[in-house]
Amino acid sequence: MTDTAIEIREFLTVALRRPVAPDEDYFALGLADSLFALELVVFVEERFDIRIEVDDLDLDSFRTAERIAALVERKRAGLATGGETGAGRAVRG
Amino acid sequence: MVTTRTGGAPAPLAVRAAAWHLPEHRVPVGELPEVEGLDAEHRTVLAGLGIDTVAVDRDLGPTGLAERAARSALARAGLAAQDLSALIVVDSRAPETLLSSEATRLQARLGAEQAVTFGVGGLGCVSIGPALLAARGLLAADPDVRHVLVAHASTPATPGRYRHPVTVNGDAGQALLLARTGPARVLDLVQETNGAYWDLFRVDYRDRPWESWQEECRDLPGYSFRLAVETRNRLTALLDRLLKRHGLDRADIAGYASQNLSAGGLRFLAESLGVELLPECRENLARYGHLGPNDVFLNLWTALANGRLAEGDRVVLVNVSPVAAWNLLLVEIGPWESTA
Repeated sequence: MTDTAIEIREFLTVALRRPVAPDEDYFALGLADSLFALELVVFVEERFDIRIEVDDLDLDSFRTAERIAALVERKRAGLATGGETGAGRAVRG
Repeated sequence: MVTTRTGGAPAPLAVRAAAWHLPEHRVPVGELPEVEGLDAEHRTVLAGLGIDTVAVDRDLGPTGLAERAARSALARAGLAAQDLSALIVVDSRAPETLLSSEATRLQARLGAEQAVTFGVGGLGCVSIGPALLAARGLLAADPDVRHVLVAHASTPATPGRYRHPVTVNGDAGQALLLARTGPARVLDLVQETNGAYWDLFRVDYRDRPWESWQEECRDLPGYSFRLAVETRNRLTALLDRLLKRHGLDRADIAGYASQNLSAGGLRFLAESLGVELLPECRENLARYGHLGPNDVFLNLWTALANGRLAEGDRVVLVNVSPVAAWNLLLVEIGPWESTA
């Protein structure tokens, strides 16, 4: 697990008030609401100095600590935004 | 995006008088009929919404609620229904009958024979925005138009009032009497929509009796995550744009009011915008539940009645709908005594 994933996992564990495994899908477990989503995105933006745009909002990129870490690395590398499934494009309409 | 300026100042629009009809019968949310059938998770969410009671109408129906509010607003302005140049009704989410007109029904009940009458809607809570845009357009386009009444009755679209995991709907009629001058000047309005969410929440009805109508969310993680973050981004950009074109920044705003969905929803909006909401939002939420397009002006007027705002204060009203639509209003408070 990368340092980024470790930090994200620590945030998730505190925010969700329970241990979160690196590959655990907390959305599928019903643990996430709008306020949590906002806190998560703000944490990722501020801690890793990136901006999450609407095109980045593919839920699959945020389902687990490891996937968020991968998104952070992609953003830092300046790669194109949007997830593999194309859901980000659907949001854009 | 709807913008309200094509150069120079926006056309004048002001709330001259406002009134609500809030049914006296209030039901604790724990005593709503549908609670008995809820599982533990739903009950937990319901208990955490920050809604203690909802006002429930048992007699008047939507048109009656709107009519009561309209008559009160007219009386406060010293006007008769015949004085109205236009009547704009924000349509119900689920009208009592199809093909008929809620707008002309209210026109007939009020006796507003001279009023150009029509309905607007389709954007949930945000539908107050198109109503104000239409009113301002009428006032700007025709010097003979002096008073426009915008009315709406908020009632649930389904037999159940609890909309998991969002809110609990209450009943209320609202009427805003609009003119070119008044104690609450609507300086500007910005609005955006994203049709990708058009049926995020919906009620299927054609193949089932009314008793079986139920609101469904087609993508709860999408609602909780994607739309939430998009809402943060949209509202932040809209607020920055709204304030910038009036030469204002956030410190110039005396108060922010939003729709009343839930305690979590209020926290979400406050954190999204980095502002504090007027406490009347939380108080009206607890007392009445969610009143659709009626919430923001009820919150504003409650704050005015509480003496929380003064002449010259500027307020931003925020509406969000999962259809999806975002609407911000910049309002300037004038001499308040004239409406008391």
